[in-house]
Amino acid sequence: KVSRATGSEIIVSTRQKGNPILQYIKAVPWSYGPPTLAADYILGASTCALFLSLKYHKLHPDYLHTRLRTLGDAFTLRILLVLVDITEHTTPLKQLTKICVSNNLTMLLSWSSPEAGRYLEAVKMYEHTQPTAIMEKLSEEYGERMVEVFTRVRGVNRTDAVTAVSTFGSVRRAANASEEERLMVAGWGPQKCGRFERAIREPFKVGK
Amino acid sequence: MASSSSDAASPAIKISLPLAFQQEIFQSVRAEDQLVILARGLGLLRIVTNLLHSYDAAGDCLVLVVGASEAEVEWIGEALAEQNALSKAPKARGLRITDAMSVSGRRAAYAKGGVFAVTSRILQVDLLTHNIPPEMITGMVVLRADRVTATSAEAFILRIYRQKNNSGFIKAFSDSPEPFTTGFAPLATMMKNLHLRTPSLWPRFHLSVAESLESKTAEVVELNVGMTESMQQIQTAILQCIETSLSEIKKGNSREVDMEGWDVESALHRQFDIVVRRQLDPVWHRVSRKTKQIVGDLTQLREMLNYLLSYDSVSFWQYLEGILATQSTSASGQGKQNQSPWLFLDAAQVLFNTAKNRAYTGKVTNAGGEGIPAGLVPVLEEQPKWSQLSEILDEIERESILRLSSNDGSYGTTLIMCSDAKECRQLREYLQTVNRPVVTSDEKDEEDEEANANLDTEGEVKYSAAYMMRRRLRGYLNWKRDLSSFKAAYSEISRTTSSNAQTQKRAQESIHGRAPANKRRRVRGGANGGAASTSRAAGGSVQVADEQAAQVAQLWQVLQPTEAEQAAKQEIGADPLDNMEDYYELFDLQNLAVVHPFKGDMDDRLLEELRPRYIIMYNPDTAFVRRVEVYRSSHNDRHVKVYFLFYGDSVEEQRFLSAVRKEKDSFSKLIKEKGSMAVTLTTDGMAVDDPQEEFLRTINNTRIAGGGRLTATAEPPRVIVDIREFRSSLPSLLHARKIEPVAVTLTVGDYILSPDICVERKSIKDLISSFKNGRLYSQCENMLQHYKQPMVLIEFDKDKSFSLEPLSELNSGPRQDDLQSKLVLLALAFPKVRFIWSSSPYQTAEIFEELKRNQEEPNPDQAVAMGLEEGEEKEGIIYNQTPVEMLRALPGITGKNYKFVMQDVDNFVELSNMSEAELAALVGKEAAKKVHRFFNRTF
Repeated sequence: KVSRATGSEIIVSTRQKGNPILQYIKAVPWSYGPPTLAADYILGASTCALFLSLKYHKLHPDYLHTRLRTLGDAFTLRILLVLVDITEHTTPLKQLTKICVSNNLTMLLSWSSPEAGRYLEAVKMYEHTQPTAIMEKLSEEYGERMVEVFTRVRGVNRTDAVTAVSTFGSVRRAANASEEERLMVAGWGPQKCGRFERAIREPFKVGK
Repeated sequence: MASSSSDAASPAIKISLPLAFQQEIFQSVRAEDQLVILARGLGLLRIVTNLLHSYDAAGDCLVLVVGASEAEVEWIGEALAEQNALSKAPKARGLRITDAMSVSGRRAAYAKGGVFAVTSRILQVDLLTHNIPPEMITGMVVLRADRVTATSAEAFILRIYRQKNNSGFIKAFSDSPEPFTTGFAPLATMMKNLHLRTPSLWPRFHLSVAESLESKTAEVVELNVGMTESMQQIQTAILQCIETSLSEIKKGNSREVDMEGWDVESALHRQFDIVVRRQLDPVWHRVSRKTKQIVGDLTQLREMLNYLLSYDSVSFWQYLEGILATQSTSASGQGKQNQSPWLFLDAAQVLFNTAKNRAYTGKVTNAGGEGIPAGLVPVLEEQPKWSQLSEILDEIERESILRLSSNDGSYGTTLIMCSDAKECRQLREYLQTVNRPVVTSDEKDEEDEEANANLDTEGEVKYSAAYMMRRRLRGYLNWKRDLSSFKAAYSEISRTTSSNAQTQKRAQESIHGRAPANKRRRVRGGANGGAASTSRAAGGSVQVADEQAAQVAQLWQVLQPTEAEQAAKQEIGADPLDNMEDYYELFDLQNLAVVHPFKGDMDDRLLEELRPRYIIMYNPDTAFVRRVEVYRSSHNDRHVKVYFLFYGDSVEEQRFLSAVRKEKDSFSKLIKEKGSMAVTLTTDGMAVDDPQEEFLRTINNTRIAGGGRLTATAEPPRVIVDIREFRSSLPSLLHARKIEPVAVTLTVGDYILSPDICVERKSIKDLISSFKNGRLYSQCENMLQHYKQPMVLIEFDKDKSFSLEPLSELNSGPRQDDLQSKLVLLALAFPKVRFIWSSSPYQTAEIFEELKRNQEEPNPDQAVAMGLEEGEEKEGIIYNQTPVEMLRALPGITGKNYKFVMQDVDNFVELSNMSEAELAALVGKEAAKKVHRFFNRTF
């Protein structure tokens, strides 16, 4: 039985020897595991990854299937890390998508070895990280929030938001200003004003 | 002519097209399905309305107008009503607009027939849900046909329509020939999308057009106005910045970007930023951050060229300062290493200096803490076109006195046309205040008087806009204070370093010490009024902008409104129209000058209604020149005199010339392609479902499924699609692959492929933003709750590179703000959520097809019910995306309580005006406080 008490290291299968992506795993330590390792990379207690370059996949379409047969289902997150190194990627990616869906694999695409290495580093580093970075949390800080609200309108950028609110004095006044007044704000052209006007006047709900 | 009213076959239809070529177009498009491409300004909408009227008056039809803009719909509606009133056709009902109708309301309306304007998104859904039976449609009129690309909603609509209805007509119109000339055999491709065979081309140089227009011509006076010396300097400086930026891009991307023949000259009249962007798009991921920034700069620089001509000198300087302000303090705290490279050029220095000196001059002396007056003088250079305009108006006045009685049907009005509402307002203000004296009362204004005297002794300037310009400058100074106090609040981390804080404090004191007693300001600024400008890090080389607070205060005093000025009305416009009769009366059109912006086809009506004797084109505009030609030729005896103003050797002159040339070239190309175009007979062939294919599909599926699921797979494949997704081209592409998109409102997911598979689609832009606001996380949670196989589809743009942005710094290891890191976090949080990567909507359609194979078809009713809470309405609520997103971004608003808000509050403006108590009733006290504070916080 292979020990998976990996600690803070990425365990790499000896199969991966010579893969250029290894030289880009720098932020976390890694070492080769026993030759019996079924996955290419062990990234945590319940996370592993297989690596596949599309070029290789094109030459050996059955390779992935053989690997999957031995992978087993001891891992909850099974990553298929794909290196997109050919331009004719549509058909192979379509096949791989299907394979991933039926084999419970999460596919990550990378377009270069450094990027692939980065993915592995990230999975290892964030193994125990709470996903707060991607959870709903809008900044409580006024300025950021104000910009956030204004920039929901297409074509309105940070600068526009700041100039508008600084010109009118408050968000309420900016919203209640007439279209003509808003046109006088530097950088607010007719198109931008029109879009903004529509966004704030349009009902939230339409139809019944 | 007067046929009996009971004779339905040939009802009397009155056509109101004054010119021969317009009638010719009408006849040919009425007789045959065509794509009509007409040169701009020749009355395209008029022909369309006449065509619609001919069907409307005949009655018993269902004609749909597709692809029209809001303004066009309005125009057509009015024109149709007018024609109906004139022709008194008993069956005509005018244009009906379906926007505000409910689903069932639309169904009933369609059943009654008539002419309808329908937005494409709604029409797609109606066609797919059989809310409108395609067989019932008499025909479709497609406007803006140039926009109908293979993946557009309009192409999709036409495809569904043609599939079920081979006898109805399709008539398409466009007045911009340029889009039809790029790409391979573009005209033929467009024709295919439109399911049409005959193009009908009507350039300005077409024989019948020329004949119609050139018999009677208007009197035209061309005035080449010279730019002032400083304007020229600024233009040259901007062009230098552009040139350097361009060569910078060239240097870094010589392989990707082909910029042969790029020079300052071409930069003047081409939308070079767009061209550059288009060239870089396929390799955008490989482009360095610096290049990206420069491409953004190019857009800004091009805008600058335009603003130089249209803004007054103070507003222009204010605009430049705005740029500097956002350049130096990027809110994400990245400091100044991200400053645009052009800011460091000598030319930029010249640009900023000259632009500032057009507004006011002053030396920066901050030796003494008490800011000694250091000769701050308002310069207030005026736009050369202003005095020219005044001269023309005087001339017109003199002339109209001379020939008072030439009664030719025109109203003697003077029409001044300019590019946009902003410029309109500027001109109106100028004309209202021109030559109003600036009476100075306190001794501070001596310098000012000198300045005025200077202007006078120079002799040239007969008309003075000093009054308006002083008002502008005061507005600018107000703004500048607001901006600085706002910026302080905006960053809320104003205590950076202690020394910084000290200087700031000193500046503040100095302001408080000598703050002018200005009541008007006090009202707005409140206690915050004296907050000094945070000593912001202005760009290394650009020192001009580093205006000291004291200096501004100083200038402010110089500009104190004189008594005369204060007595005058402060603001124009914004009159509540109460007591109309008491205060307003109709002007005699004879003596009227109307300032109006160019508004495309709407201008035709303007001309007809105003019947101007004089037209001053403050800016050149090709289409409007033609409109005047059409107007003149349509009326035998009306005289029109046109003054045509432009700045010589400027962007606007170049742009005008190249627009004319480009249109002409495009038509020539189109005529050539039309001559050699192969007739495509297949357009209608694809309409019928291929029976063979249907047969094969069943066989195929049975074989794979081992026959066991024959009943399930024999159904035509379908995908349940959220209504909001009809903005994208994916539903259309699915339909093209014979997968039926079923349009419903979904609470969970965007696409349901099978009872188990639920897909949330994200374009790269959506992906980034929904990682940022955490929506994707909640969406995944939601999908997991209701479906066995939740998936996130990451869809790239067809024309853009298939790869994520390059990693920021390769050596520093993962950072949580990388897109890649966020994807990893998502994968770790949801090991069961599958990722689908697709390089384009085309590929997505293929992948969906693949994933659906051997799966049961999804059930629409179930899909709709997923995720709905007890008692919530199931059907038909469509949300307006942008307003709802704005609502959800508000502080205090959560994924739960925003629904209560939408229940009771109509729109954003209404919400902004609610009291805290009213809000509390909706969302609770705590949240109400946050929302209220957000709207009402002032500076």
